[in-house]
Amino acid sequence: MARIKGYPEALEAKLRDRYVYGEDTNGKFTETVEKISMSIPHMCYQCGTCTASCPSAPRSSYRIRKFVRRVALGLETEALTDPDLWLCTTCYSCTDRCPRDIAPTDVIMAMRNLAFKRDIIPVNFLKTVQAIYTTGHGVPNNDVNRAARVKLGMDADPPTTHTYKEFIPGIQKILDYYKLKANADRIVKEREG
Amino acid sequence: MEAKHKYAFYLGCIAPNRYPGSEAAAIKTSRKLGIELVPLKGASCCPAPGAFGSIDLNVWYAMAARNIVLAEQMKTDIALLCNGCYKSIWEVNHKLKHNDELRDGVNEVLKTIDMEYKGSINVYHLAELLYDKNIVGVDKVRDSVTNPLKGARIAVHYGCHLIKPRKDREFGATEILDTEAPTWMEELVGALGATPVEYRQKMQCCGAGGGVRGYDIVHALDIANEKLINLQEVGVDALTDICPFCQLQFDRGQIEIEEKFGVKYNLPVLHYCELLGLAQGMSPQDLALDLHAISCEPFLQKVL
Repeated sequence: MARIKGYPEALEAKLRDRYVYGEDTNGKFTETVEKISMSIPHMCYQCGTCTASCPSAPRSSYRIRKFVRRVALGLETEALTDPDLWLCTTCYSCTDRCPRDIAPTDVIMAMRNLAFKRDIIPVNFLKTVQAIYTTGHGVPNNDVNRAARVKLGMDADPPTTHTYKEFIPGIQKILDYYKLKANADRIVKEREG
Repeated sequence: MEAKHKYAFYLGCIAPNRYPGSEAAAIKTSRKLGIELVPLKGASCCPAPGAFGSIDLNVWYAMAARNIVLAEQMKTDIALLCNGCYKSIWEVNHKLKHNDELRDGVNEVLKTIDMEYKGSINVYHLAELLYDKNIVGVDKVRDSVTNPLKGARIAVHYGCHLIKPRKDREFGATEILDTEAPTWMEELVGALGATPVEYRQKMQCCGAGGGVRGYDIVHALDIANEKLINLQEVGVDALTDICPFCQLQFDRGQIEIEEKFGVKYNLPVLHYCELLGLAQGMSPQDLALDLHAISCEPFLQKVL
């Protein structure tokens, strides 16, 4: 019959605690990333299947395995300030193949969410927000396309928020609820003047 | 034929606003296969899973939920034709159905615009409906063909977000759950009379997703370029996709690749709905194929 080994209490508590602590680490970071991503990066045993599956890896210094390790070690600033964080195409090949059932893609998304809280975000992401705030579309209609639609016997604008503009205030309310438009405008202005 | 299946047609952005022929083709070809697509009035961007998911997942959940609620109010399941939209609309629907905490959070926001997410509808990609023999199936697609695309060698780009991550996905046809070497799209291409062609690394991403196309276009194009090299190696007349964003990356991307890398492929890129339209007798004009950045002419001469 299996018997639980009687370690001293202090050691037992330490073994139960899966977070790593050090001068430049933040155990809370691991916990927060796990909550947002709904995944378990602390389970990673660094096999590298993720990096080997990654279409971004062969053409850049982006290493998904390294990012997952940073989460497990609580290396918050090192992870969030690395520009490679934005090179994940979210193809989910790593997630499909991870033998530890981690979703590295979702771990990256969680870290991007946390980076945005520090105003770390490429502007193109914010411009999509601005486009949706005004039109409801990330890629809005244009005149060439309107003419083509009419030639096809369709309405110049699709039956989306482009035609039914009364739905746009609702969209703006959702975005304002999270102060997303205000933050996007502020950051774009800071970067581009 | 009387429509046996009715869906609210969720359009997204790139199909209606850049490749309207695929929207027209989806509606027309589906009708011949017993599927009626009705407009989902007031829908917005899904919103783009790469851009919005990266900024704040909570906003992504709430914005996608608003689109789903519009269909709930019609008491109609959603059908769509874009992998990116599928990621947002299907996955958020799936998450909200199975996670009470998330759903309560979303409903708190939706309450401010007098909406409530109930979890009463399902979301499907048109490609999965075409393949699923309980809805349409390959045989019925084959029977609907009046202009077989004989002699055309066509490769498939599956894209990522319809089928991956596999662990979360649920499909009527289990063949779709193969993310390493699937052949169900090749079967659909074969049903049109064309010859489906395999190529190296066919499951690789187009490179556009996750905001990378906007963040670092050269990086994104280099990923697409690798696929184009592999396609050139086997020699194909066209590439077909089931995602307008992938289509944009391969179609307009070829122009950008020429500018930035100095290589030219002239490979026509068509959404499967556009191919199906041609095979069912729609003309290139009916499909607005002239809007494509890469001319479809050489391919059309072969099949028309």
